[in-house]
Amino acid sequence: MSQIEIVIDEKKYAAQEGLLLIDLLIREGLKVPYFCYHEALGADGNCRMCMVEIEGQKRPQIACDTNIKEGMIVRTKGQMIESVRRRILELELINHPVDCAICDQAGECKLQDFYMDYGLYDSKIDQAEKVHHKKHIDLGSNVMLDQERCVLCARCTRFTSDITKTHELGIVGRGDHARVTTMPGKKLDNPYAMNVVDLCPVGALTSKDFRFAQRVWFLTSTPSVCHGCAKGCNIFIDHNKEKYKDERIYRFRPRPNADVNGYFICDAGRLSYKELQENRQLEMLIDGMVSKEDEAVACYHKLVADGGKIVILADANLYTEELEAIQKYAHILGAQLCAPLESYRDESFGDDWLKSSQRAANAKGVEKLGIAQILSTDPVALLINFNHPDGSKIKAQKSIHLQTHQMEGKADLVLPLAPFSESSGTLVNEDGIEQFCPKAIWRNEPLMSAIEWIDLLQGGER
Amino acid sequence: MSFVFSEENLAKIEALKLRYPSPAALSLPCLWMAQYQDGHISLEAIEVIGELIGTPPMEIYRVATFYTMFHLEPIGKYHFQLCKTLSCALCGKAEVLEHLIQRLGIRPGESSDDGKFALSQVECLGSCGTAPVMQMNDLYYENLTPEKIDAILESLEGEHR
Ligand code: SF4
Ligand code: SF4
Ligand code: FES
Ligand code: FES
Repeated sequence: MSQIEIVIDEKKYAAQEGLLLIDLLIREGLKVPYFCYHEALGADGNCRMCMVEIEGQKRPQIACDTNIKEGMIVRTKGQMIESVRRRILELELINHPVDCAICDQAGECKLQDFYMDYGLYDSKIDQAEKVHHKKHIDLGSNVMLDQERCVLCARCTRFTSDITKTHELGIVGRGDHARVTTMPGKKLDNPYAMNVVDLCPVGALTSKDFRFAQRVWFLTSTPSVCHGCAKGCNIFIDHNKEKYKDERIYRFRPRPNADVNGYFICDAGRLSYKELQENRQLEMLIDGMVSKEDEAVACYHKLVADGGKIVILADANLYTEELEAIQKYAHILGAQLCAPLESYRDESFGDDWLKSSQRAANAKGVEKLGIAQILSTDPVALLINFNHPDGSKIKAQKSIHLQTHQMEGKADLVLPLAPFSESSGTLVNEDGIEQFCPKAIWRNEPLMSAIEWIDLLQGGER
Repeated sequence: MSFVFSEENLAKIEALKLRYPSPAALSLPCLWMAQYQDGHISLEAIEVIGELIGTPPMEIYRVATFYTMFHLEPIGKYHFQLCKTLSCALCGKAEVLEHLIQRLGIRPGESSDDGKFALSQVECLGSCGTAPVMQMNDLYYENLTPEKIDAILESLEGEHR
């Protein structure tokens, strides 16, 4: 298809002929309201919010069902189109309960945004005349439905019919009585179900896990990569530091990336922020006793100096930079380094979409660095384990564990390690795509990453 | 309480499959057959239809809930559907409705306890020239008066005896 030129609001734009007008508007950052269109779901043309004026056409047209043509002249502003939008919005809102003050979507609600941008009319409908529906339906899979707030855009139902093909959701009834629901007695139940919460442009679908935990305007979003499996889905880590408290993560959200995860993530990955924050290893332990940093470092040097064969284990979830540092360090110590990937395989987890049975986020990174993967079973004098889950399988006389989370089993020395959210680095996903994750969480008392530990243990300053 | 289509209906469905390019087009005819067979459309029937025509049950359920003529709950055997639209309203529908409520002892939207009668008001039946009009199951009754209602009820009683 050929490159053409069209005019939008008096400005020229070059684009591929036949491209959907709404895609061009979104790409160019031109403001146009829409509920039902979604890049991943395509056009449905049901909400009518995306109306624009096209010269030569008698009536306003929906941008999500218009393919651009050479010489097209489009207007997204102006009295005519704005009054059309206002009326469509008013129609959408006829039965809306206007309970934004207690709605968890407030602050990230398209209905609110569009009302402020294009609505601002006085309601002609009395509260008492509105048609009411059910407000707290537990659909299953952590998704709560408020039927009254729904604008019937059918994004959620198209997700279950077109994307997961599980067909749990549907719009039933007609007119004022149309509403989203599952079949009687059935639940929303698929491994990607919670994506409907992000798809829902309004407060009709909210996450049972996140709702009422935080107002969204208090949250800071840091781009990152999910560590749930080797797919490396792109996410936003939404976090907040409340006064006097330590910074906390409140949710993971999908971050669009056409090359990796499209617009979605799996529920297991989405909820993995919980595990990340629970059971954390925060203290240094010598023989199980809490100790100070200088004591721990002295203990470390003593254990290493005692001599004998040293094995270093490295977690395949560590960043490539960390793995490299460990590799160098192992060389200096003359230690044998391994990062067995078999330990992370979970055949019950993988599927033919996003979820991978290799559950280590940087398994490819380990392979690329050529780190050995065989778990040695010969007895050794000392094990230094950088957070690998199979540390207890090594027969070592003495052991040092640098770990992000508390682990079973005894160790001579335990050093707390910063998890991925509290340091930064690069991961290589299973398709070989390198992705950088900046540091998201700044603890009141920061923990050290593998690189920082190695620096310190080699005589550097903290 | 499972649903099975009669042999006759199954044969009809197979014959209809040849008529349409996509079996999903059979949703409506299948729903009708299920309703005629049982008097209403049960969730089991929806599952069975979905299976038969290879369509997810949710899609069938959506169709069934969209049309007011499909009943997802059992209703009275004789379903009185009185037209409430303009011509009928002008030509005495109110009086007929009042009489029906009296005689049947139920209000629009209800079924009688013995499961015999159901009453509802519907939009224009397309027979405005003979208003007021009522559809009882598949039959039209025209130019209604309270007396005509009595006669209809009497004939139904006779049928029952
Ligand atoms: S629940 Fe949300 S996503 Fe689903 S139809 Fe309603 S507004 Fe759209
Ligand atoms: S598929 Fe893997 S990387 Fe993607 S969200 Fe799920 S667990 Fe995380
Ligand atoms: S976005 Fe175009 S009609 Fe909904
Ligand atoms: S108005 Fe009653 S049949 Fe048309």
